[in-house]
Amino acid sequence: MKQWIRWSGLAGFIAISALFVLVWMFAAGPIIKYSIETFGSQAAKAKVEVENISLTFDPFGIEIEGLQVANAEKPMENLLQFDRAVADIELLPLLLGKGIVNEVALTGLVFSSARQTSGALENAAEENDSSSAEQKAQATPNEDTASATEQALPTADEIMSREPLLTEQRGKAFKSSFETIKADSDAALAALPDSKAIASYEDDFKRITSGRFDSIEDFQQRKKEFDALKKRIKQDQKAISQASKVLANGKKDLQSQWSGLQEAPAEDFNNLKSKYKLDGAGVANLSRLLFGDKVGEWSQEGLYWYEKARPFLVSEDGDAEAELDKSETARGEGRFVHFETDRPLPDMLIRQVQLAVQFEAGQVAVNVYDITHQQEVINRPTRIVATGLGLKDIESLELKGSLDHRVAPGKDAFDLNVTGMALNNYDVGAMGLKLDRSQLNITGQAEVIAGNLDAKTIAQFTQAKFSSKDRTQVAVEMAKALAKINSFDIQGKAKGELTSPSISIESDLDTQLSQAFNQRLKEKQKELEAQLKKGLNDKLLSYGGEYSDQLKEMDLANGSLGDKKDKLKKLSRAKLSSFKDQQKADAKRKLDEKKKAEQAKLEEEKSKARAKAKAAADKKRKRLEKEAKEKFKKLF
Amino acid sequence: MIGMLAKLLKALNSDSAPGQIALAFALAVITGLTPLLSLHNVLIVFIACILRINFGAFLLGTLFFSGLAYLIDPAAIALGESVLTNVAYQGFLTDLYQSDFWRATRFNNTLVLGSLIIALIAFIPVLLISRWLISVYRNKLMAWVEKLKIVKVLKASKFYKVYEALAE
Repeated sequence: MKQWIRWSGLAGFIAISALFVLVWMFAAGPIIKYSIETFGSQAAKAKVEVENISLTFDPFGIEIEGLQVANAEKPMENLLQFDRAVADIELLPLLLGKGIVNEVALTGLVFSSARQTSGALENAAEENDSSSAEQKAQATPNEDTASATEQALPTADEIMSREPLLTEQRGKAFKSSFETIKADSDAALAALPDSKAIASYEDDFKRITSGRFDSIEDFQQRKKEFDALKKRIKQDQKAISQASKVLANGKKDLQSQWSGLQEAPAEDFNNLKSKYKLDGAGVANLSRLLFGDKVGEWSQEGLYWYEKARPFLVSEDGDAEAELDKSETARGEGRFVHFETDRPLPDMLIRQVQLAVQFEAGQVAVNVYDITHQQEVINRPTRIVATGLGLKDIESLELKGSLDHRVAPGKDAFDLNVTGMALNNYDVGAMGLKLDRSQLNITGQAEVIAGNLDAKTIAQFTQAKFSSKDRTQVAVEMAKALAKINSFDIQGKAKGELTSPSISIESDLDTQLSQAFNQRLKEKQKELEAQLKKGLNDKLLSYGGEYSDQLKEMDLANGSLGDKKDKLKKLSRAKLSSFKDQQKADAKRKLDEKKKAEQAKLEEEKSKARAKAKAAADKKRKRLEKEAKEKFKKLF
Repeated sequence: MIGMLAKLLKALNSDSAPGQIALAFALAVITGLTPLLSLHNVLIVFIACILRINFGAFLLGTLFFSGLAYLIDPAAIALGESVLTNVAYQGFLTDLYQSDFWRATRFNNTLVLGSLIIALIAFIPVLLISRWLISVYRNKLMAWVEKLKIVKVLKASKFYKVYEALAE
């Protein structure tokens, strides 16, 4: 038998094995450190740094000291950091290349701590440098605007700026037409003769047509001038007709558009009035106004931490990998057939992570179970259980989560239960309102399936007492109305894409307050309507302000065109008599003068004869009167 | 490679027991046909180290059977699949699966199990056949081979010098 044993071979095997183990022991720490920093940085999209990693042998495991995960969005801040983490690793699966960690215990866990150096990845920082500034510039005002518009009732200005208005559309069209027509009419008017030109036409006419023709040559000269003058007048008449036409058409167009523009504010107002009516539905805004800020803040914070933690809890490609594994039967490699077991071995599994998170209100113990990117292997989802430990002002807090990616699409579900939460001096933020005290119970459920969020939370407030230091009418009325309310609940819902879910808030507080606020809402409605009307009229004036003046100018121009046209028409009708006509006229004039002289003589004779007859008749009448007087005297 | 081949020829032509060379080939069937980085191969390498077998033959055999494995793999996978999914063995395999040690052997991989079964089945035949072939070579072929012209040419080559250097 001895001749079959090669002792040197045994020694060589042991030596090589020992060397392998030693190299592994010394290299394992740096290799794991490198892996955590490299792959962790890829997952976190920011620097992940580890101070030291060492191996432990009883039980076998690793100890991580001083781990920092930088915040990709705030490079000078850590997303989280911890002082020490001890991981209990199973050795045999490690030979299969499977990292099975039974338990990880974290101590000194701190969130959002400040960093000494930037945590941005060098290549990512270069890529993001240019875009981040732009994004920030774009995102910040949008966020502000979004929060402002979402959280508060819109003002008349906001409504008018966000809605497409007919007044604006028609106003712009009117302004454009107005400018075109004005330019056309100005050009047409510029081509017309002015009053001086017309006066000079009249002078020329007088000069040509008055006075006697000295000779036939004089007549011909005047005739030539007269014809040239008439030609010019005809051209001017044509220009005047053209200008009249331009002015008339322009006026017609503008008047038609103007009437449309004048009707636009009323149409806009009716549209906006129906859309922004502060009725029962409008009251729902009230609870959003009161608690919307806080609900929005909590939702954003919850989503922020969910998105940050998710890459570390489940694989982004987990669903895809589950599908891939079924078809992973490449020839030459074979496939693994898994059997039922209570100890399944995925490539990486952390069976339990224990950590304690310190908040202002106290400590929350968090246990995360079965962290792996191969949930289909262990056939269990990743679970999270967070429990409040002796929290200040909170009786109990429990958050249960399940990230189930065994089948595609994966489903992440969370249940939150908070009972006996004492809310004191909660600043509502609107109208100077303060919730002096209240007891609060919160239950919430959230599901994320294929990137779509569906969350519902009910917050039940009891023993509520409100107050307001604001002295405005609304605040006073609100405080009065709220004083009568002892308990109410608020239901918050978030639905839609995980990155931008639509958040809605409903509350029976709205119903309770609606009656008290009906009157106030009517006033507010009137106020809003008045502002809208004023705003729309201002818009109308901004577009049509110059129109009236211009219309007057056009009317005046049109009137003056009529005068000019009449004058030119009169001038154009004038004729230049011929030399023969002038001689005939002379003869006729002489004959007329002779006739007039004879007529005058005849008239003079007639008047003389009439005077003589009258004198004789007067004389006879006087004589008869005298005789009558004398006879009368004799009688008495 | 030349050295390894020279060692093998030296062994074939020497007085080494044919069983030592044959066992090297038989063990090489396992390391060659099955995926090399498997736990059972650590055991085979360990055996190859401590037993007085021809290590050169073992390495060359491993190389040869690894090449052959490319042809056998599909059949090995099919065999592994049929065994691992056979209802009759489920209880036994499930029991094995509960142990971290057995899982470390990757027995539940269709290729590992299929090729290991083929290698184990082939172990004894390879051992016997190779032992018989070595005997036949030494008794009948060695002298005849020595007379071949090609061998004479080879003897004048660099390869033969290496062989001679090792043989001394």
